[in-house]
Amino acid sequence: MNDVAIIGTGQTKFSKEEADIEKLLFESANNCIKSISNCSVKDIDGVLVSTNNNSKYMSAILSELLDIKPRIAHSIEHLCSSGTNAIISAYSYISSGLADIVLVSGVDSATNPGQILEWDRSRGNLEHPIYWASMLTKAHKRKFQTSEEELAIVSAKNHKHAMNNPHAYSNEPKTISEIMNSKQITDDLRIMDCSRSCSGSSSVILTSEKFAKKFSDNPIWISGIGQKTTSASFTKNNINEIQSTQIAANSAYKMAHILPNDIDVAEVHDAFSVCELMAISELGITSGENSGEFVRNLFNTEDKMVNPRGGLIGAGHPLGATGVSQVIEITNQLQGKSNKRQIDNARIGLIHNMSAAGTSSSVMVMKN
Amino acid sequence: MTFFDEQLKKGNFHICFCKNCNENLWPTKDICHICNEKTHWKESMNIGKIIEFSKKDSSYFGMVELDEKIRIMGKIFSKNQPEIGQIVIMKAFFDKRPQYSFTVKNN
Repeated sequence: MNDVAIIGTGQTKFSKEEADIEKLLFESANNCIKSISNCSVKDIDGVLVSTNNNSKYMSAILSELLDIKPRIAHSIEHLCSSGTNAIISAYSYISSGLADIVLVSGVDSATNPGQILEWDRSRGNLEHPIYWASMLTKAHKRKFQTSEEELAIVSAKNHKHAMNNPHAYSNEPKTISEIMNSKQITDDLRIMDCSRSCSGSSSVILTSEKFAKKFSDNPIWISGIGQKTTSASFTKNNINEIQSTQIAANSAYKMAHILPNDIDVAEVHDAFSVCELMAISELGITSGENSGEFVRNLFNTEDKMVNPRGGLIGAGHPLGATGVSQVIEITNQLQGKSNKRQIDNARIGLIHNMSAAGTSSSVMVMKN
Repeated sequence: MTFFDEQLKKGNFHICFCKNCNENLWPTKDICHICNEKTHWKESMNIGKIIEFSKKDSSYFGMVELDEKIRIMGKIFSKNQPEIGQIVIMKAFFDKRPQYSFTVKNN
């Protein structure tokens, strides 16, 4: 098995406005290729596109737009975790020797259809994600006495981090008070507890050990991968936990030979405030009962360890691009290129991306 | 339209089950994934208990587990704030997609 590294990254700015996904894809992919000084499109032999958009044949279209004639090309759809799943697929192609240099581009538009899983009939007509998020939030409050303020701190922290992310849909700070007084969506959810569906695209280029040193002075290695799908129906899960995250994390830690306390920086899937609290405990970064206090402490000490780019809440959530964007953030952090968002001496980073109320999770560990 | 949806239109929530395995199957399917035998249908007792709930505007909603161990989501009608474990009676119907509502018993 070949070792696999990220050697190039490129992004568009995320936006609330509807946008043409082909243009977004081209922009982020082109930025990505140009981020590697001596890489030409002819070197790329794999093109994977992660998207929930209804458009067809996107990897072939992107290949033609860039004048690439890849050996491997196809799209990947897995709702909100399409991006990391596309990267895991690229990893598999490279580690097995089926491809050498793979471009992964994630994209979605603000009105993409991936926000609602029509198939899940157990949700009745409560198909919008706010309903499952309200169930998880209420259950977390009930089990851990989580306060409205602790939930608001997740959002305040991530909006604050997004101020220093030029690709975030908004760079405006939000105070805890503003968040706690924002529009009430349900008894357990305010509008500022929710990530926002955006238009945007993010791209990475992965390669094997053989080519990594040729194209990059600072490749970032994927050292652990875990993926677990427990169901597709939200109601089949225990609402007090995200079991898929726990299992995926354990697989990734085992493969990377690390423990949760080795992690220097983490991008976690904060689709809603409660998701960050649940994720950091399922990932073993803290315990469930201490998750609110843990995030409060990060906020008060300006520690950017969790979601330094602003997470989904702060940066926006273009579904197919989100996981790729998370991987770009960790890559930049481990390369020491995150400017005002930089975590000192970051050596080990984690990415957590999940789908459909945590019915499926992907976890990656990266090292410099 | 599936048998399940057709019955929902008439207000009947049918449980899909496998006689061979003695298992309820949810979501519904034509063939049992365990034994590959054709599945059968039985009417639900339409009784469940509240697993979790919240409120949107002035309406409660939540997740309910039916006696047949199937969990579904819908509106909850209750004079007072619902409670976890409270017994509810389900009504099911179909309007573009399945819709479920629950009324708290002895409320």
